[in-house]
Amino acid sequence: MVLKMCLPMAETIPAVEIVNLVKDFKTSFKAQLLRAVDGVSIRIMPGEVYGLIGPNGSGKSTTMKALLGLVAPTAGTCAIFGKDSLKVDSRNDVGFLPENPYFYKHLSGAETLRFYGKLCGLKGRDLEDRVGELLALVDLEGARDRRIGGYSKGMLQRIGLAQALVQEPRLVILDEPTAGVDPVGSRQIRDLILKLREQGITVFLCSHLLEQVQEVCDHVGIIFKGKMVKAGRLEDLIAIEDQTEIILKDADAELVAQIMALVRRSPGASLVRTGKPRTTLERLFLRETTNREDGV
Amino acid sequence: MSKTNAVARGSHVGRIWVIARHAFTQLVRMKVFYFLAVFAVIAIASNFFDLPQHEGPESLGVNVLHSIKSWSLGTMTLFSVVLSIVATALLLPKDVEDRTLYTILAKPVPRIDYLAGKLLGVLLLVFVSLALMDALMTAVLQIRTTVVLGQQLGMAQAQGWPADTVESLRRDTLLNGPTWSLQGAVFAVFLRASIMASLALLISTFSTSTLFTAIISFMVYFIGHFQADARAVYLHAGHSGESLAGRMGALLFSLVLPDFQNFNVIDAVIEGQTMPLMVLGKLTLVGLYYAVFFTAASWLVFAEKEF
Repeated sequence: MVLKMCLPMAETIPAVEIVNLVKDFKTSFKAQLLRAVDGVSIRIMPGEVYGLIGPNGSGKSTTMKALLGLVAPTAGTCAIFGKDSLKVDSRNDVGFLPENPYFYKHLSGAETLRFYGKLCGLKGRDLEDRVGELLALVDLEGARDRRIGGYSKGMLQRIGLAQALVQEPRLVILDEPTAGVDPVGSRQIRDLILKLREQGITVFLCSHLLEQVQEVCDHVGIIFKGKMVKAGRLEDLIAIEDQTEIILKDADAELVAQIMALVRRSPGASLVRTGKPRTTLERLFLRETTNREDGV
Repeated sequence: MSKTNAVARGSHVGRIWVIARHAFTQLVRMKVFYFLAVFAVIAIASNFFDLPQHEGPESLGVNVLHSIKSWSLGTMTLFSVVLSIVATALLLPKDVEDRTLYTILAKPVPRIDYLAGKLLGVLLLVFVSLALMDALMTAVLQIRTTVVLGQQLGMAQAQGWPADTVESLRRDTLLNGPTWSLQGAVFAVFLRASIMASLALLISTFSTSTLFTAIISFMVYFIGHFQADARAVYLHAGHSGESLAGRMGALLFSLVLPDFQNFNVIDAVIEGQTMPLMVLGKLTLVGLYYAVFFTAASWLVFAEKEF
């Protein structure tokens, strides 16, 4: 957060600016067009973590591909830090992790990062230092010389995230970063995204795992059938304005009774629900499967 | 961050070389060099294809030298053409299928750099393979030429041939051994493979499968061997060849489809003839023209392609 406040004036240029994006695809053997994205506009400021959510086939990946210049917009514009997405130099500042990535199986983790680093112009000591740094960041130092072909799904996602970060981009685009990954791997990726946020890196991710999006994103957009149906700050969107939540710790029954009596006496206020907050199944799973002292 | 971003742009040559080296490594790790063992067997086995002769010393053992060159250059042609087509046809769709292409094009990599890098990687592999095969062929040929020459000179001396005739015999036999013309023929094999690789690259930019690319490329390869004859027949038969449109059509045909009859000089080298430097220069220009033409056309298609 402090980093965001210290950003120079130049950083007021949006990291991502998509304006009225329309993308039509030709359908096979038919003259009619399929509209995958219909007038979508997204603005992401530097340092924000933006989650684009929507059901399968709603246009999330197409929007991301248009932003990366992998597909050309039928109408509208996409820009990264003010540079047209269709121009190669816009990609100096962006890292991308596609959905279910498969990297070259014949390369090891370190070789993979070296390859992508060299594509970005890194070389020599700088490149080697960066490779080591990234392998440490994604916790793959132990597998640096192992062929990618032998990596698990979670490891693939993490090496994918590392390659996206190789040239220290200011924007990272993640397409379903935790798809098919077990809860432990999923948590590691989430922690990495939170680390990026702490470093002031802008993150644009799409997912249909809503709980995860809620945990890491500060802005969200909901896309449905190619149209943006809702967008804004997450807190604003999910807050129930006419309700207030108070969570007490070690409160005895008498205190709870007093509070409830107080609420009953207040005109216009009513008690909606009381009870004990529950942990999530995911947290329970993580607690039981990681860092167990008994080593089971 | 600023330091890294300053160098992140890199150069075209640097990026092409990175992609080329990677494509080369990828193909090497697919164990394509196992084919060299097959080549070694063929090169050594061709030593034994010596037909019995009853002529004089001048033709003693020359057949086996022809056999070594013929089998070796034939195998080199087969290997280089198959490798250049199949490897090129494989690399592009594989990157699309595995989505590794997304991660590469999401970096500051112009599409022409990607295409040129892949093509250069395949050509590097073909070049290294041909160089290794060439070294083996030259070694086998050198050893056998020495043996043949010894036999011939022994027989010529036994028959009391004059010194100048013996010297002439020695020169003729050496022309059938490892010569610079033979190295030129190997380079011509490489040029032909380069044309096929760039053609396969073009087809793979709009093809939907590796199989389709390979089949079309092989078809063009075979058409290339008789397109010059077909053009000649067309231009000299009936009235169609006399019209301007007909002649322009034939010219366009030859500009787009390579004429592999230009490479028949390789057969002449096998027979012991010398390849003039001018001919090699012409072949190099022809090879360069088609490689650049097909690569530029690939780029035009690939630049507009959506993934």
